[in-house]
Amino acid sequence: MGVERHREGPAEPVSGVPRGSRNVISRGLLTVVAATALLFALSEVVASSSLAHGTLLTMLPFAGALAIAGLGQTFVVMQGGIDLSIAGGLSLYVVIVTKYPAGVNGRLLPAIGIAIAAAVVAGLINGFLVGRMRLNPIVATLGTNALLFGAVLWYSAGIPTTTTARLSRIGSGVWFGVPIPVYIAALTTAVATVVVKLTPAGRRFEGVGANATSAFTAGVKVRRYAGGAYVWAQLLYCLAAIVHASIVNQPTAYEGNNYLLPSVAAVVLGGTSLLGGRGYLVATAIAALFLSQLDQFVLALGVSYASRSLVEAGALAAGVAIYTIDWRAAARRAFPRRTTTLAPT
Amino acid sequence: MIVLGDRMVDASAISIPVEDSDATRQPTLSMVDITKRFDGVAALTDVSLDVLGGEVHALLGENGAGKSTLMNIASGALAPDLGTIVFGGDEIGELTPAVARGLGIAMVHQHPAILPDMTVAENIRVAVGREHLERRDADLTKAMRAVLDDVHFFGHLEDRVSSLSVARRHLLELAKAFAVSPRLLILDEPTAPLSQDSVVLLFDVVRKFAAAGTAVVYITHRLGEVREIADRVTVLRDGTLRGTESVRDVSDADLLALIVGRRLDASFPPKHVASIEDPALLQVDALSGPGFNDISLTLRSGEIVGIGGVVGNGQPAFLRALAGRRSSTGSVRLDGKAFSRRRLFEGAAYMPADRLTDGLMLDLNVRENAAITALGRLTTGPFIRRRREIDVVQRELSELAVRAPSLEAPVSSLSGGNQQKVVMARSMLAQPALLVADEPTQGVDVGARAEIYRILREIADNGVPVVVGSSDTKELEGLCDRVIVMSRGQAVATLDGEEVTEEKIVHAAISATAHAAEAARRERGASRLSRFIEGDYAPVIVLGIVMLALGAYILSRNHRYLSNFNITSVEFACAALGFISLGQTFVLLLGGIDLSVGPLAGFLVVLASFFVLDGKSPAIWALGFALMFVAAAAVGLLNGALVRFAKFTPVAATLVTYIGLGGLAFTLRSAPDGYIAASVTNAIETKIGPIPVAFIAFVVIAFALELGLRRSKLGLRLRAAGSSEESARRVGIPINRVVLIGYLGASLLTLLGAVVLLAQLGVGDPGQGSSYTLTSITAVVLGGTSLLGGRGTFVGTLMGAGLSVQVLNATVFLGLDQKWQYIFQGLLIVAGAIIYSEVRRSASRGAVES
Repeated sequence: MGVERHREGPAEPVSGVPRGSRNVISRGLLTVVAATALLFALSEVVASSSLAHGTLLTMLPFAGALAIAGLGQTFVVMQGGIDLSIAGGLSLYVVIVTKYPAGVNGRLLPAIGIAIAAAVVAGLINGFLVGRMRLNPIVATLGTNALLFGAVLWYSAGIPTTTTARLSRIGSGVWFGVPIPVYIAALTTAVATVVVKLTPAGRRFEGVGANATSAFTAGVKVRRYAGGAYVWAQLLYCLAAIVHASIVNQPTAYEGNNYLLPSVAAVVLGGTSLLGGRGYLVATAIAALFLSQLDQFVLALGVSYASRSLVEAGALAAGVAIYTIDWRAAARRAFPRRTTTLAPT
Repeated sequence: MIVLGDRMVDASAISIPVEDSDATRQPTLSMVDITKRFDGVAALTDVSLDVLGGEVHALLGENGAGKSTLMNIASGALAPDLGTIVFGGDEIGELTPAVARGLGIAMVHQHPAILPDMTVAENIRVAVGREHLERRDADLTKAMRAVLDDVHFFGHLEDRVSSLSVARRHLLELAKAFAVSPRLLILDEPTAPLSQDSVVLLFDVVRKFAAAGTAVVYITHRLGEVREIADRVTVLRDGTLRGTESVRDVSDADLLALIVGRRLDASFPPKHVASIEDPALLQVDALSGPGFNDISLTLRSGEIVGIGGVVGNGQPAFLRALAGRRSSTGSVRLDGKAFSRRRLFEGAAYMPADRLTDGLMLDLNVRENAAITALGRLTTGPFIRRRREIDVVQRELSELAVRAPSLEAPVSSLSGGNQQKVVMARSMLAQPALLVADEPTQGVDVGARAEIYRILREIADNGVPVVVGSSDTKELEGLCDRVIVMSRGQAVATLDGEEVTEEKIVHAAISATAHAAEAARRERGASRLSRFIEGDYAPVIVLGIVMLALGAYILSRNHRYLSNFNITSVEFACAALGFISLGQTFVLLLGGIDLSVGPLAGFLVVLASFFVLDGKSPAIWALGFALMFVAAAAVGLLNGALVRFAKFTPVAATLVTYIGLGGLAFTLRSAPDGYIAASVTNAIETKIGPIPVAFIAFVVIAFALELGLRRSKLGLRLRAAGSSEESARRVGIPINRVVLIGYLGASLLTLLGAVVLLAQLGVGDPGQGSSYTLTSITAVVLGGTSLLGGRGTFVGTLMGAGLSVQVLNATVFLGLDQKWQYIFQGLLIVAGAIIYSEVRRSASRGAVES
């Protein structure tokens, strides 16, 4: 943006409605960046082992996979939905890219092709149920999730397969000190953001999420966008699954379960409303980093898995409350300056 | 001739004898120096108003003048920032909808406060106190029938309100207000959607109430109605009081001066001068579709064609079809070329009547709302050129004289007229081949109306065919070159040129309304069978048949299926899932969702595993159960509080407790431990024959809850809050309390499930429980409860839980492995959801058409 030198139309400024300044940085992004910075600062002071080089190299690839999965979830949430089938979908793609090659590097690419095809099918089923049959997203994706797990067990019988060496090399690879999955996540976030914010299709997509009826009366083919969100989501889960399989040596048949709640948490922390509308993709990706580092931080403090969940719940509650509670009104109520009830005559 | 809004001022309408307003009469309602701000913008400033008993007090003013805000304060829907309310001589401290109801204040809202998922009878019961109905007739059904007959509402009491037409919903709203014999009756633009005969009826009833001493406030745009019915009139402008006058003593010119601050003449642009050379731009031939039939019209270049008639006779359906926004048969030709629905959808611009829900994306800004139709031609390569977007939008907005803080301002911050112009800008930016506008000036103030008329005329002059639907006959007369009057979905008259007059339009519409009334009466005969199929209990029957068929099939393959052992274990498993699902039903009926039920059940079992152990005294056991109760109640209240007071979405709120409870369970026990006392598990597993007592308790509780849901006040309120929160609030239901009770109920029923689980697991295992969240949702959905809230049954959940467990059990008996469990579960939920939603959609289809 902003690189154009020439412009069309009248040179004189058009009177009437002023342009106004655009908020380039959303409140969600600002909050989540601040929180993440704070967390890293706190990690440095209180639990510096969580910032050790080795620890970071372990944490970052997972953060990358979660960020990519979170982007997919964001697309669905932007349409006012929620995608429970991320668990079954991601599990299925992990199983496909590990079991199909069965250790043979040459079969990795075909396996990825099959996984992508499966993702498109899963996405189309969800998209059909939600966009066309107008089922509630929770119900539709709950059903699809069960079917996808059926497919996982049908294909793998629940037996884990070791990741191929070629895929592992990607997962454990480091360029300029940064794990390759981080580059993949950053690139994916950038592409997704550009598509949503700068192309007509992306803008219509946001419009459909904000008010589908209104978009329909404006002549937007609503179903295509509302249903399409699920296809793009599954494709992103598929990418996340590939990244995940590349960093876990012997993934189980249920890896996707570990992404269901964190992906929703990342979306919510990033400031995208569960009611749909505008999506904050970069904020989602950074929230994924935040959640992953939070895990490491609590781990480094030496407390159990359990308190990690408690901290996560607290972070999530605080993250949502920032957006939902009208803090100014709450402050006014706590420190009233003038009577808000009826004054005597 | 003076025109305000859409009615000519007709002096002959002044007909009611008015008793002299007595200065000594005690005002029923006294509002003193009321001030109200929204986000720092003053909506009302120091407004005072006295309404006397027995008078009809008209409240006049342009849109945004503060009329509805003032009356929402009077009815308790809004709290004023400053000012005093005195009712019947007593100062009222805090006026809530419930308090207002108690005082005898009834308000008929512009948008009816009805609960779409509930029946007509339930809508009345929830809004009208029992004592009011009993005063009418000891038999409540007869009383409700009488109340409806008063307003000539001839639908069936058991009809679901979502299947009623707009006009009938308004009649229901009026009936509810009249039924409480209010001391203060507030009517907010009640005549807009009503047919002529209903308006006459309404005025009769209002006069009767006034004669009986009721104070009536009548909000309107229409000066003619003021003359016809009101004794005194108060005018507001920009949130300030302009004056209160006796209707007889004030001239129209004076009133207009008070309202707009200047005199206003008829504000229509000159019409098109027809000539033979004008090519026919738009030709519609025998267009038919749901709600309208066989409509043809021709529009020549430069013309505006109007679609008129009494509201609710298929005009919106026809307009939508004309714009390709819904399917139809027949042909539409633009400039001689046939346009399919698809081409119309892409080529025609459509301005919906309800701009807030159908027209605008309120969370997005002005630029994004306006540009959405033009994005395709604002690009360079694949990307939108921002500069060009701003230029194009800005030019269009200034052509339409839109007043907005900036392009980046949220569209929700604009006034009604400017919002409508944004919708118009959006339509024009589409560069349409046809413009279809439904009620383009509804809720738009006088000044902005004139501008909208001018713009529509300019669009027509530029060679774009313009079709305008309007219930405002004055608007049709002033704006349109040709008007088609619709009745019952048919074109009953086509008026051309000189014939386009208010009288002719009204005449054509009214002479056809007899048919409409007849149709309304015929609707009464909706069959029992169709009501049942569309009703809440059909899923129960369907599931029962499926379960029997499945059971018979399994039995034919494996005779041990009905062994005592299997019956016991299936029913016990069913009780655990069943209780939790009943809890989930509570929340889904409210339109919420409780993700935390599963982890809560698991956590409660872990909690019990510290107390309910062999070797500890029964007192300790009791303490354990008491702690489980306290924990469950606390979680329920926390969920409810997060949703209601912290404004979390239900998913976010219960996701927090989901994660938190899982963490707590693992904090208490990192691995399974703590074996539950055998005597306790034995007690929980008590059987009568092969049937576990826990299962019997589950069935009994399910039926008891069902009865409560249908019969009790709380049950009605629960469904009301789920059906439409806004309407429920306005009929005086304390939403916060109801929602808290709902989440509390969910947690306490989960507690019962946890007790069964306690015996089933026999040990405190922190890893158990979470899976019940999704299975409980599955069971409830199978039972036919809608996730949108307001519709569902506990008995359905009973059957849903039963089928879920039966299917799992079936895979074992049929020798199928785990993948089939998943596949069956997935297929069941998808098939169930599709069937239920299709049935509901076909049921409400009839209503949407009108």
